[in-house]
Amino acid sequence: MSKNSGFRQGVQLAFRLGTELTVATIVGGLMGYALDSFFGTKPWGLVVGVVFGVAAGCLGVYRVATKMNIEDEENNNLE
Amino acid sequence: MENPLHHFEVHNIIPIHIGGLDLSISNAVIAMWVGLALISSMFVFPAKRGLSLVPGKLQNVLEIAMEFIRSMVYEFIGEKEGKKYIPFIASLFLFILACNLIGMVPGSYTITCQIVVTGVFAIGIFIMTLVIGFSKHGLHFLGILIPPGIPKILIPLMIPIEIISMVARPVSLSVRLFANMTAGHTILAVLFGLAMSSLMIGWLPFGFTVAINGLEIAIAFIQAYIFTILTCVYIGDVIHLH
Repeated sequence: MSKNSGFRQGVQLAFRLGTELTVATIVGGLMGYALDSFFGTKPWGLVVGVVFGVAAGCLGVYRVATKMNIEDEENNNLE
Repeated sequence: MENPLHHFEVHNIIPIHIGGLDLSISNAVIAMWVGLALISSMFVFPAKRGLSLVPGKLQNVLEIAMEFIRSMVYEFIGEKEGKKYIPFIASLFLFILACNLIGMVPGSYTITCQIVVTGVFAIGIFIMTLVIGFSKHGLHFLGILIPPGIPKILIPLMIPIEIISMVARPVSLSVRLFANMTAGHTILAVLFGLAMSSLMIGWLPFGFTVAINGLEIAIAFIQAYIFTILTCVYIGDVIHLH
C-alpha cells in the first residue's frame, strides 16, 4: 500500500456513501414502477420497490462502514 | 441577467444528417476532440516516440500519472489481476480529467456536464464488469447476488436487494460526476451574472468566482479520480467475489 492510501480511501468514501443511499432508493422505486406498468399491479410494485431500495441503500452503506471499521482496527493493531 | 444554464446548451456547428441520424459536429463533440488531442499530444505521442532513461519535463508528468494510476489499480483490483486493466483505467481517468479541465477554460464546453456522456461511460463499465464476472467465474458469478453467511430463509429477500444495489452502481457513478460538474459550473455562471449586474458591489461576487474557480479545478481532479477509483472497486469486487 502506498503512503497516501488513507487519503484516497477517505475521499472515495466521502463521495460514495451520500449518493449510494439516495440512488439505491430511486433505482428501487423506478424498478417497482416499471414492474407495475408491466404487470398492472399499481401501486404495490412501487411500494415494495421503494422499501427494497431503501434496504439496498442501507445495506451498501453498512457494508462499506463495517469494512472501514475492520481496516481501522488493523491499522491500530499495527501501531 | 443572463441565463446561468446558457453555457450547457449544445448547438450544431457543422450540421451533418445521414439518413435519420443527426451526426452533426456540435460544440460538445469539439470539446471531446480537444480532450482527446490534449491526451494524445501529452501522453500517447511522447510515449510512442520513445522514452529516455533520464526523464524530461513531459515524461516526468507522464511517469507520475502512470505511477499514480498503477498504484490505484494495484490497491483495488490486485497486483496479479490488475495489470491488464491499467490501459483501460488510465485512458478513462485521463480522458475524464481532460474533459473536466477543458470545461474550466472560459467559453469552452464541459462535456461531463451531459448525463448522456457520463451515463454511457457508466453503462459501458457496468456491462464490462458483467462480462468479466461471467467469463471469470461462469455461472458461479450469480453467487454475487447471495451474500455469504446469511440464513437460507432470507435468500428470496436478499436477491432483489442485491439486484437493486447492483443496478444502482452505474446510476450513482454517472450521476455523481454529472451532478458535481453541473452544480459547480452553474454556481460559477450565477456568480458571474451577479458580478456583471451591478458595478457598485460587483467586485464581491467576482471575488467569490476566483475562489470557486480554484475549488472547481480541485473538483475536476477529485471527480475524475473518484470515477476511476470506483471503476476499480467494481472490477475488483467482480474479480474477487466477496
